[in-house]
Amino acid sequence: MGVASYDAIIVGAGHNGLTTGCYLAKAGLKTLIVEKNDWIGGAAVSRSLHDGWTYSNCSYVCSLLRREIVRDLELPRFGLQVIPYEGGATFTEDNDYFAYMSDHNALEREIARHSPRDVDAYARFSQTVMRQCRFIRPFLLRHAPDPTSLHPRDLGELAFLVKKAHGLGAKELGETIRFWTMSIGDFLDEHFESDLIKAHLAGSGIIGTGLGVYSPGTAYVLLHHYMGDVDGAIGAWGFARGGMGSISKALGMAFEEAGGEIRTGSGIDSFRVKDGKVVGVALENGDTFDAPIVASNMDIKRTFQRHVDPIHVPDDFTKAVNRFKIRGSSAKLNIALDRLPEFPAAPKDAPFLRGDLHCSTSLAELERGYDDWKDGRWSSEPYFDMLIPSQIDPTMAPPGKHMMTVFVQYAPYDLERGGVRSGQNWTDETRTALANCVYDKMEQAMPDIRQRIVHAEVRTPLDIENEVGLTEGNIFQGELTFDQLLFNRPVPGYSDYSTPVEGLFMVGSSSHPGGGVMAAPGANAAREILRRAGKGKSMPRFAA
Amino acid sequence: MTDTYDAIVVGAGHNGLTAATVLARRGKRVCVVEKSGQAGGMARTVDYAEGARGPEIAHLLYNLSPKVAKDIALRVETRKLPTIAMSPDGKHVEMAGDTLRFADGTAHPEAEAYAALRKRLVKFARLLGQLSDAPPPSLAEGLAGLRDIGGLARLGLNVKRLGKQDMREFLRIILSNAYDLLLDDLADGPVAGALAADAVRGCWSGPRGPGSVFTLLYRLGQGGDVLLPMRGMGAFETAAKDAGVEMRTRSTVASVMVEQDQVRGVTLDDGTILQAAAVLSSLAAPLTMQLAGARHFDIEATRRLQRMRAKGTTAKLNLVLSATPDMPGLSDAQKAARLIVAPSATHVESAFNPVKYGEASAAPVLEAVLPSLSDPSLCKDGRQVISVIAQFVPHAPDGGWTAAQRDDLSKRIIQTLEVHMPGLQDLITHSTLLTPDDIETLTGAPGGHWHHGELSIDQLLTVRPVNGLSRYSFGVRGYYLCGASAHPGGDVTGSPGRNAALQLLAEGVLS
Ligand SMILES: Cc1cc2nc3c(=O)[nH]c(=O)nc-3n(C[C@H](O)[C@H](O)[C@H](O)COP(=O)(O)OP(=O)(O)OC[C@H]3O[C@@H](n4cnc5c(N)ncnc54)[C@H](O)[C@@H]3O)c2cc1C
Ligand SMILES: Cc1cc2nc3c(=O)[nH]c(=O)nc-3n(C[C@H](O)[C@H](O)[C@H](O)COP(=O)(O)OP(=O)(O)OC[C@H]3O[C@@H](n4cnc5c(N)ncnc54)[C@H](O)[C@@H]3O)c2cc1C
Repeated sequence: MGVASYDAIIVGAGHNGLTTGCYLAKAGLKTLIVEKNDWIGGAAVSRSLHDGWTYSNCSYVCSLLRREIVRDLELPRFGLQVIPYEGGATFTEDNDYFAYMSDHNALEREIARHSPRDVDAYARFSQTVMRQCRFIRPFLLRHAPDPTSLHPRDLGELAFLVKKAHGLGAKELGETIRFWTMSIGDFLDEHFESDLIKAHLAGSGIIGTGLGVYSPGTAYVLLHHYMGDVDGAIGAWGFARGGMGSISKALGMAFEEAGGEIRTGSGIDSFRVKDGKVVGVALENGDTFDAPIVASNMDIKRTFQRHVDPIHVPDDFTKAVNRFKIRGSSAKLNIALDRLPEFPAAPKDAPFLRGDLHCSTSLAELERGYDDWKDGRWSSEPYFDMLIPSQIDPTMAPPGKHMMTVFVQYAPYDLERGGVRSGQNWTDETRTALANCVYDKMEQAMPDIRQRIVHAEVRTPLDIENEVGLTEGNIFQGELTFDQLLFNRPVPGYSDYSTPVEGLFMVGSSSHPGGGVMAAPGANAAREILRRAGKGKSMPRFAA
Repeated sequence: MTDTYDAIVVGAGHNGLTAATVLARRGKRVCVVEKSGQAGGMARTVDYAEGARGPEIAHLLYNLSPKVAKDIALRVETRKLPTIAMSPDGKHVEMAGDTLRFADGTAHPEAEAYAALRKRLVKFARLLGQLSDAPPPSLAEGLAGLRDIGGLARLGLNVKRLGKQDMREFLRIILSNAYDLLLDDLADGPVAGALAADAVRGCWSGPRGPGSVFTLLYRLGQGGDVLLPMRGMGAFETAAKDAGVEMRTRSTVASVMVEQDQVRGVTLDDGTILQAAAVLSSLAAPLTMQLAGARHFDIEATRRLQRMRAKGTTAKLNLVLSATPDMPGLSDAQKAARLIVAPSATHVESAFNPVKYGEASAAPVLEAVLPSLSDPSLCKDGRQVISVIAQFVPHAPDGGWTAAQRDDLSKRIIQTLEVHMPGLQDLITHSTLLTPDDIETLTGAPGGHWHHGELSIDQLLTVRPVNGLSRYSFGVRGYYLCGASAHPGGDVTGSPGRNAALQLLAEGVLS
């Protein structure tokens, strides 16, 4: 038998690779997706590691997933259901809490309980954030214009940007510039007086980043967490029923229905390149496949540092890839609980317990957590975003039992031990120590948490790298700082999903608009691939 | 009795003096009112002790605008100083222009990487530097309506002229952090440390903070040469006097008079009234608002001004020494250089950490110079003065500065220096510490801040000092902001002063 050949091959069955695959297959390309794991989904995955429980091992809540794509690919037909959750709380050391509630009057009362002045502040805060969301959302499903290019398409996109910006008016434009460049800490300090409320709102500005709450640019990261929606409710978050893997599963089914083929269980060894053009892939198990179009769903560092021979790309490009910043800063705990833990501070059955729960009570505490990370330690008082989705989605745990997801910020990839910083310092011992540090802090809200744990999966940045292939465990496939956003993402000159290797494209979160379970990079890349293949018309235009 | 002028300038800092001189040289009758007994503001030369003189706060020139110097006929003799990056292992490194070598003259392994990096940075910095000599671009008509020739449009044009490769690089790094930029090309030692320290000097930021590349470029805007002004910083005052500016020292402006939305003059704290159709204030923007009264500003402007961030992080230690200290590894000529103690970029970042929580660095980052070695006129009797800028120091620790805390800070600074100057302690005959709080008391700068307000991207250009008030004209007709809190920012540049004066003339206030 000769080498199997395809019109297109996608390396990696993360949700973005799957999205690209759907659009290529629907356009009639014979498309293969190869995935190193025995399962698909990458960081959007549900797995059962303890009998009866399902974990969303990596990503755990859904909001960024572009509505246009969900609709266009008919994902609900393949079982995708996103259930919104409401509310959340931050618990203090002295048995109090600040609760976020979606009921406007209840929220005002709760804010007033901590600071009467912050009621007005909150109104101004949410107005600004919503205005910025509305400004940015139309850009997510468009490619980022290259300001150094005189290409009509880039000029067209620039014109779109200018038009949008122009629509803002001078004052608002000034405020937009400020918002995009300031720190979440300064932004909150400008508005609020209550430390607790500030801490509650600040988390979204640092999740997944290598920045502290006082690092400029973190107000923008906050936006990354507010610009999504659930069923059109902007800023709302939800659970994918059955865990985040349901998103990948639905995408996989849509892909296969369109005629695509998925091969799991063997990763790629190398992208095969001839005369500057990609000709196919070689897998670790020795299989090789031919295709004139190959797309990588892996981050740009992994793609080019491990799987493309550097002789095929210019030195400048290699340099740009090498300096791409992709530092891991997050850990994850997935926990099986024998029943709901007690929250002594909260009213019985308080609805906000079904939302995102935290124990960090001041911006200074969050900033110190960042200082620890810079020095190669996990935060001694870690910030975490924890939820118990089984309260809303009963498929996640056996009846009466619960599943808890705990996202931990900050944990370094290159842990420091005895003066040496290395991923190899993550051992069973350090992993357990990290988990204990998180449990200690969780006891602030749930004194009985340790007794409730039946099983726990503790994932360090190294574990995330090893399993999902996210280099250094960076959850966004590359940091979301200005030097790596928009036309700079993944590297200047290649924000149009192409690479110096003809026919090789970057379709994962390393590309614009970046990380999160958004499917936008995958869809934007598919559009570019199809356009170059002369099939640009086969993909619908999403309204801006 | 009231005196009448064309314009009154509040504050005789170098920017107030520049603004006054620009106007006076165009025939206007100008009076500068200064609360202290000596002009110069943060840039003045004082008696450290018993005739040993030195720079009180600012000590070196690197960002002086040539346009300003020309416009006000500034006569300042300078001496170019190399920079020595002090290394904990004694292998100090000399940085002079694009050249890098060990202080003992031997080749440095990073010489090439350094030269390439610095050339690249200076090229970008000069581009930005052009923006300093004109008001910031206006957003009044939205981005599409940018028509200021001196503004962004021209920057855009020049950026295009850079060529695609450089332009990409410029757009990549401009908002990023110095730490990553430096360590992409350099090892994390004293050279990276010195550049990282330059990037954040005067700022409430560590080198890992996004925006620190901008502040590094800011200080390289005139090419990055470091100059010692001979005989001190008095040239601005001389220029003002030569131009016929009237000076009233030891007079504090209590308020600015406004009638029918038009400035009328100022009232001094002794009740004296000075009349003028234009008032230029070199005080920080929030104070400038207060002088006129918040009621003249809309509520949004008031709120924005009150929120302007100005958390000072630099202290000053001025020492008189009985003799030149020993500095193993440095030649006599090198002892007169700008000395930087910042062992690595990581060190600079770690030094920043405590100030976030109101504490001073345990091992502060230092920029020290012995001006008397180059300029014997400062002390004629064999004594030497050493002028040290120390970072990071909070404006005031919780509960304010106590004598013990001040002593402790002085000790830490001296100990950090003494590593490279053994025996220093025994040479000190006199020591003056200025904490950021002291600097605020002396000059009025909020937080004792170097730039009168943080030089962060969200307080720059069109949003400096705040959104809506960036073009010097300040809320009330005839009222102008001319100090470091205005565009382009602080340092001894003269640019805010000159730009404000020219803007006032262009707007026809005095015609
Ligand atoms: C712990 C964690 C929590 C998160 N939480 C959220 C959240 O709550 N909400 C949210 O929106 N986002 C969240 N994110 C971010 C989001 O999950 C990711 O940004 C997104 O899933 C990345 O998708 P992707 O398709 O671009 O890449 P990936 O999911 O990284 O997919 C890459 C795929 O390539 C495969 N691969 C790697 N190497 C090879 C090889 N050699 N050969 C073949 N295949 C290979 C991988 O196995 C993987 O399947 C989280 C991420 C993490 C890690
Ligand atoms: C520790 C430190 C070291 C520095 N070192 C350098 C350096 O080496 N090189 C460099 O380029 N820059 C340096 N700078 C920055 C630089 O000194 C300042 O940015 C610059 O001098 C500000 O000038 P200015 O004229 O705008 O304001 P200022 O110099 O602050 O002048 C304001 C003036 O207003 C007066 N005043 C205040 N209130 C009143 C009132 N109500 N009535 C009348 N007068 C009033 C004050 O007394 C003062 O004279 C340093 C800053 C600091 C804090």
